[in-house]
Amino acid sequence: MSQSATTHSQNPIHSQNPIHPSSRSGSKISLIPHPSNDVLHVHDLHKHYGRVAAVRGIDFTVQRGEIFGLIGPDGAGKTTTFHILGGVLEATAGEVQVLGQPARDARLKIGYLTQQFSLYLDLSLDENLRYVAGLREVDAQIFQERRRKYLQLMSLDRFSDRLAGQLSGGMKQKLALCCALVSQPELLLLDEPTTGVDPVSRREFWDVLAALASEGVTVVVATPYLDEAERCDRVALMYDGQIQEIGTPAELKRNLGLHRLEVHTSDLASAERILTSAPSAHLIDTQTFGDRLDVLVSDPQAGKTQVKQLFAQHNLDLSALESAEPTLENVFVTRLRQQGSAPEFFEFPRARGGQRRANDQIAIYANKLDRRFGDFQAVKNVNIEIRYGEIFGLLGANGAGKTTTIKMLCGLLPASAGDISLGGERGNLRTSELRRRIGYMSQKFTLYDDLTILQNLEFYSGVYGVPRKLRREKIDWVIATCGLEGQENMLTGQLPGGWKQRVAFGASVMHEPDILFLDEPTSGVDPLARRQFWRLINDFARNGTAILVTTHYLEEAEQCNRMSFMVAGETVLEGSPSQIKAAQPGQLVEVIVTASERHEPNPTQAASNVLKQQMESWRVSIFADRLHVAIEDPAEIDAVRSRLQAAHLTISSIRPIPYSLEDAFISVVQRAQVKP
Amino acid sequence: MKRILAQCSKELAQFRRDRLTLALAFILPVMTLFIFGFAIRLEAKNITLIVQDFDHSNLSQSYVERLYATNQFLPVQWSGTDPIRDGIERGLAKAAVIISPEFSRDVKAGKTSVVQVLIDGTDVNNARVIKNSIQAFTNVFIQDQNLLQSSSKILPRIRLWFNPGRQESLYIVPGVFGVILAIYPSLLAALAMSREKEQGTILQIYASSVSAAELLLGKGLAYFIVAIGQTLFVLGLGCTIWQLGFVGDPTPLLIGSVVFLAANIMFGLLIGVRASNRSVAVQGVATVGFLLSLLLSGFIYPLSNIPFPLSLITNLVPARYYIELTRDAFVRGTGWSGVWSAPLLLALLAFLLFNIARKIIRRMQLSG
Repeated sequence: MSQSATTHSQNPIHSQNPIHPSSRSGSKISLIPHPSNDVLHVHDLHKHYGRVAAVRGIDFTVQRGEIFGLIGPDGAGKTTTFHILGGVLEATAGEVQVLGQPARDARLKIGYLTQQFSLYLDLSLDENLRYVAGLREVDAQIFQERRRKYLQLMSLDRFSDRLAGQLSGGMKQKLALCCALVSQPELLLLDEPTTGVDPVSRREFWDVLAALASEGVTVVVATPYLDEAERCDRVALMYDGQIQEIGTPAELKRNLGLHRLEVHTSDLASAERILTSAPSAHLIDTQTFGDRLDVLVSDPQAGKTQVKQLFAQHNLDLSALESAEPTLENVFVTRLRQQGSAPEFFEFPRARGGQRRANDQIAIYANKLDRRFGDFQAVKNVNIEIRYGEIFGLLGANGAGKTTTIKMLCGLLPASAGDISLGGERGNLRTSELRRRIGYMSQKFTLYDDLTILQNLEFYSGVYGVPRKLRREKIDWVIATCGLEGQENMLTGQLPGGWKQRVAFGASVMHEPDILFLDEPTSGVDPLARRQFWRLINDFARNGTAILVTTHYLEEAEQCNRMSFMVAGETVLEGSPSQIKAAQPGQLVEVIVTASERHEPNPTQAASNVLKQQMESWRVSIFADRLHVAIEDPAEIDAVRSRLQAAHLTISSIRPIPYSLEDAFISVVQRAQVKP
Repeated sequence: MKRILAQCSKELAQFRRDRLTLALAFILPVMTLFIFGFAIRLEAKNITLIVQDFDHSNLSQSYVERLYATNQFLPVQWSGTDPIRDGIERGLAKAAVIISPEFSRDVKAGKTSVVQVLIDGTDVNNARVIKNSIQAFTNVFIQDQNLLQSSSKILPRIRLWFNPGRQESLYIVPGVFGVILAIYPSLLAALAMSREKEQGTILQIYASSVSAAELLLGKGLAYFIVAIGQTLFVLGLGCTIWQLGFVGDPTPLLIGSVVFLAANIMFGLLIGVRASNRSVAVQGVATVGFLLSLLLSGFIYPLSNIPFPLSLITNLVPARYYIELTRDAFVRGTGWSGVWSAPLLLALLAFLLFNIARKIIRRMQLSG
C-alpha cells in the first residue's frame, strides 16, 4: 500500500512518471510511456438513493495531467459522482477505473477534497498535515520535504502553528489541498474547492492547480464559478444526473453556435427587459453579467443592427456594443434555459404593500464601529449608512470582518465601541418588535437539517410572527420559487447546498422585513439560481427594504447601489460601483494570447506565468480565456508585449480596458495588504 | 501500525485542545465520585419513629430509651391519639411502636407480652430494614433483661469478615469506581467517533485506505491512554478520601482495569459508529451505559436478585466484572483465586464489542 509513497522519493511531485526538468512548463504529457494515459475511466455510472436516481448513466475518461471540470446546476449529481470516484460511496451500477483499478482500491493514489471542509479545525496546520501523512503512510523524511514544498506553494508556510479553525476560508481550502497532496496522489478530486473563497484566493488556488497539472497530476474539479471552469482542459456539463455535453471550453462555446454581443448601457435593467421581450429571430438570449449585458445572437451583424434599433426605439443610451466569443457562463445559462430548468420568478405575495417608508430615511447606521476578540481587532472604525430601498454590498476577502460587522449591526454580537442604529432604534437591538422587522440569512445554513422543508418554513414563519392566515401563501411562494413543489416533505439535510441556500433565503424574507441582512446568500449557488436570487433582492429593494449583502461574486455586486470594501477589519473604499472603478489608479490591460507554433496547451496560463516572473503576482489575473494586467503607467503595455513575445506567445489582442469590480477588488485588497 | 499511531496522536492532540472534553474527562468523574461516594448510603439511619407508651412502667421506658439509643431511630414530636392517622399518614414517622398497658405486668407474670410495631411499607426495602432492626433489638433486649424462659438450643455467633466495622464506604466506593470508569471513557470515545461523522471529516478517513480495525484501534488507543489517566486519578482520589488501600494482591485489579477500560472504549466506539451526531452519541452512552452500569452491575442491587431474562443481560455489562475486582482488591483481598474469571470475561467482551463496531463500519463507505 505504501509503494507509491516510499519508493519514488526522488521526484517531488509526480514520482511514477518522472518529467524531464526542461519540459516542465512545456508539454504536460509524460515522456515515459504509460500503458494507458487514462487516469480515470467512468463507464455507465448509476447511483440511486432509494427511488431517487442521482446519477443516471455517465461516461467519461480523464487523461493524465488534465484538469477536467464538472459543471452543472445544484442537485445535478456532482457530489454523488465525486463520492463514487473517491471510493467512499458504492455505485448502484457501472464502472469506475482509476489507474486501471476500481476506485476503492486506488484510494491511496487519489486525493479527495470534499465539499465540507475536510480539516480538523481544532488541530494546527502541521498537525493536520502530519495526521494525513500518517494515515497514508508517508515516510517521515519525505513528508518533511513535501510539507515544506506545498506550504510554500500555497504561501502558508508562515502559519504552520496556527489552528486550522483560525484560518480564513481561502487558506483553509489551500490547506485542505495541501493535505490531499501530501500523499502525492495521481488523481485529485476537488468538489467545489473555491466555494465561499474570495476572488484573490480563488485565483491563487487555480494557479496552484495549473502548476500541479503541469507536473502531471490529474485534476477533476466541480465548480459553480464558470470563469474558473474556463481554465479547465475539458469540461462536462452535467444536469439531472447525466452528462449533457463534454469537450474543451472552446468546443462547448463553438457547439453553442452563437455569438455574443457585449452591450454597455447606463440602464441595464430596462435594457435587459426590452431585449428579452423583443420578438426577434436574431436575439437568442440576454443575460446580465456584471456591468454589461451579454446578448447571444445567431448572426453578429444582424444582431448588432437589431440591438441598435431597439435601443433607439426606447431612447436608451448605448455606450458600447462589441461582438465577442461566448463565455462558458453563456453556454451554461443558455443550455439550461433550453432544458427549461431555469428557476422561475414568482411575485412575492406582499401583505403590506410596497413603498412603506420614505426612501431617504436611514435604516442601518453605524458610526466608528469596533470589535475586538481578545488581542485581535476584527472590526476597526467602520461607518455604514444604508437607506430604505438601497442595496449595500459589503465586500472583502475571507476574514476581513464582514460577518462580524453584520452580526453587530443586527444585534447578535455586542460592539466593543461605536454607535449603531437599526430601523430608527438605538440601544437595545434585540426587542421583539425590531427583530420582526429584520431578516437575517447567515453564512452557514440556518435551517434545521432534521426537519422537512415544510416544517422549517412553518417554524420560521411562526418565529417571525407571520400572521397565521398569510402563512400558507408565503410558504407556497418559497416552495414555488425554489422549484421544490411536491418535495416539501423531504428532509432539509438531503438538499444539495445550493438549494438549501434558496430555502434559507425564502425563510428569511417571509415576514416582509424592512431590513434584510444577507451574508453570502449565493455562495455555492449555480449561475442560473443566482440570477433569480438577485431578481428577488432587487424586487425587495424596490419595495422599500434596506438590504445589506456580502458576496464573493463581484459581477453580482455590480447590482448593489453602493458598496464598501473591507480589508483587515477596516473600510478602505466606499462608493457606487462606478465610483469605485473610477477610483482605481493605473491602467488595466486585457491580453488575449493564442497558441503559437510551439503548441502550448494553455497559452493563457503560460502567459500568466511569464508575466508573474517580473510583476507582483496580483497584477496578473486570469479571466477565463484572457489576462487582465494591472499596470501603473500606460507605457508599460509595450513591456508586457515584448515579454510575451520573448516567450514565443502569440498575442492576438492587447488593449487598455476599464476596471471591472473584480479587478478593482483584487487591486484594492492587494494594495491594502502590501501596505504595512 | 503507523496509521494506528497517526490516528492516535491526532486524537490526543484534539483532546488536549478541547477544554470541554478535558473537563468531561476529569471534572465530571470527580463530581460523580463525590456525589455517589458521599450520598449513597444503604444502611438505614435516622428512621423517624414514634412511640405510644400506654404502660409507663420502668420496663417500658427502658425499652423505649434503649430503642432510641441504637442511633438508628429518631424520635419525633407528635400530638394526637392515633399513631397511624397523626404520625405515619402525615409523614411524620416511618414507624410507630405501641406498648400495651399490660406490657410490664405480662412480662413480670411470665406471659408473652405484645408490642405492636406499625411500619410504613411504601419503601419496601426500608420497611424490611426497620422490621429486622426492631426484631433484632427486641431479641437483644430480652436477653439483656434475662427474660428468656429457656435458653435456646442453637445460638448463632456472628462475625463479619472483610469489613468488621460494617464501614459502608468500603462497599460503595469500589462500586463507584466501576460505574465512573464504565461511563466516562466510553463517553469520550463515542464523542470522538461521532464528531468525525457530524463534521464530515470521516469522508477523509474513508477516502484514505485506513481499515475499520485500524480506525477503531487508533481512536481506541488514544482514549485508552486518556482512560488510564482517568483511572489513576479517580482511584487515587477515592482511595485518599475514603482511606481505601489494597488488602491483597493488586495484580488482578491492575490487569482487570486494563481490559475493563478497553471494553468500555470499544463500547463507546460502537455507540459512536452507530450515532450520526454527538448528541445522539451522548444519549446513547448515557442511557445504555449509565443505566446498565448503575442497575445491572451489582453496584447497589445484588445480581442474584435480578430475575431470569434480565439476569442474562448482566453478563454483558463490563462494570459487573470490574466491581467484583475492585471489591476484591479493596475489601476482600482474596486475589486471583477469587476473581480469576473476571479479567478473562472482560477481555472477551472487549473483543466482542470491537468486532461488532468493526462489522458496522467495515465497508468504510457512506451508506446509501
